[in-house]
Amino acid sequence: MPRFDTLPHAWMVWDVPAPARRGAVLDQTRELDKFLAEIERRAFRMAQVALRDPDDALDVVQDAMLKLARNYSSKPSAEWRPLFYRILENGIRDLQRRRTVRKKFMVWLPGSKEDPDNEAQDPLDCAADGGPDAPELLMQDQAMQKLEGSLRALPGRQREAFMLRNFEGLDVAETAKAMGCSEGSVKTHYSRAVHALREQLGEVW
Amino acid sequence: MNEHTQDAARSALELRSRELFEGSVEGLDMRVRSRLTQARHAALDAAAVARRRPWFFQMRVWTSAAGVTAAVLLGTALWFGSPLGNHGMTAADQSSLEDLDMVASTDEGSGDAMEMLQNDLDFYDFADKAANSGPAA
Repeated sequence: MPRFDTLPHAWMVWDVPAPARRGAVLDQTRELDKFLAEIERRAFRMAQVALRDPDDALDVVQDAMLKLARNYSSKPSAEWRPLFYRILENGIRDLQRRRTVRKKFMVWLPGSKEDPDNEAQDPLDCAADGGPDAPELLMQDQAMQKLEGSLRALPGRQREAFMLRNFEGLDVAETAKAMGCSEGSVKTHYSRAVHALREQLGEVW
Repeated sequence: MNEHTQDAARSALELRSRELFEGSVEGLDMRVRSRLTQARHAALDAAAVARRRPWFFQMRVWTSAAGVTAAVLLGTALWFGSPLGNHGMTAADQSSLEDLDMVASTDEGSGDAMEMLQNDLDFYDFADKAANSGPAA
């Protein structure tokens, strides 16, 4: 018969998973840091293209980072990228849904006709800080704004497929995982997105 | 436009858009970069906290909650099931309890009840002997 004072200890030994080695934990932290540093800016820009508002984009990216770190950091690092983008896309979609509901609600309120989504964006805010070739940067910035406008005009799934495949460089399988659909759907969305963009931006662009 | 030209145009579009996107990523201002770095550090801290906390701690929360719930249920059941709770008691039960209370509350100093009982026993003993012996003649 075990003594009572030994029971909790025995229970804990039985219950606690084997502790990870300190070195392995450090490696994992370093790897996660590297992964997040590698994707954070592109993720932010992708969120900004979808949401327009930089603060909203920052919030969504931060949430995605936290969720990935809290819930999936123990997963193999090869799975992080599609998981992160899935979390990010879900966050973007949630925010867009909330905006739609808010917009519908605000229509009924007096004196609240202004729509933050339709605010004209100052090109100077988006322009890169200084640089040796300002006219070239300005041209690039204008072209990027045009591209962003065209991307925003796409249906959400097409935009996701295009940005994940083309900007983030995910393959079809990873994109399918990130979007939560089949590989065939990814190919269809991507192909339609490219066709639509070409129609909007013109052959020359 | 033939198929080859279409593919070439598509590739050009993909290349150009990617190039522009990368350019815009490189051109992010310092405020955004700083906030992204802060967000990354917060995420790494969250990962460290999540790693330090084994899964059974989360289970323990549920275990504790289940224990508290069970204790509350048991306490409630005992309270409602006990005589002190005065629940579900019939009139007969109540009467028996009152009789018992009366007997128990008899004044111990006088010892009336016990004395009467003893007298009764003595009387019955005498009567029995008298009946059995009868007149000898």
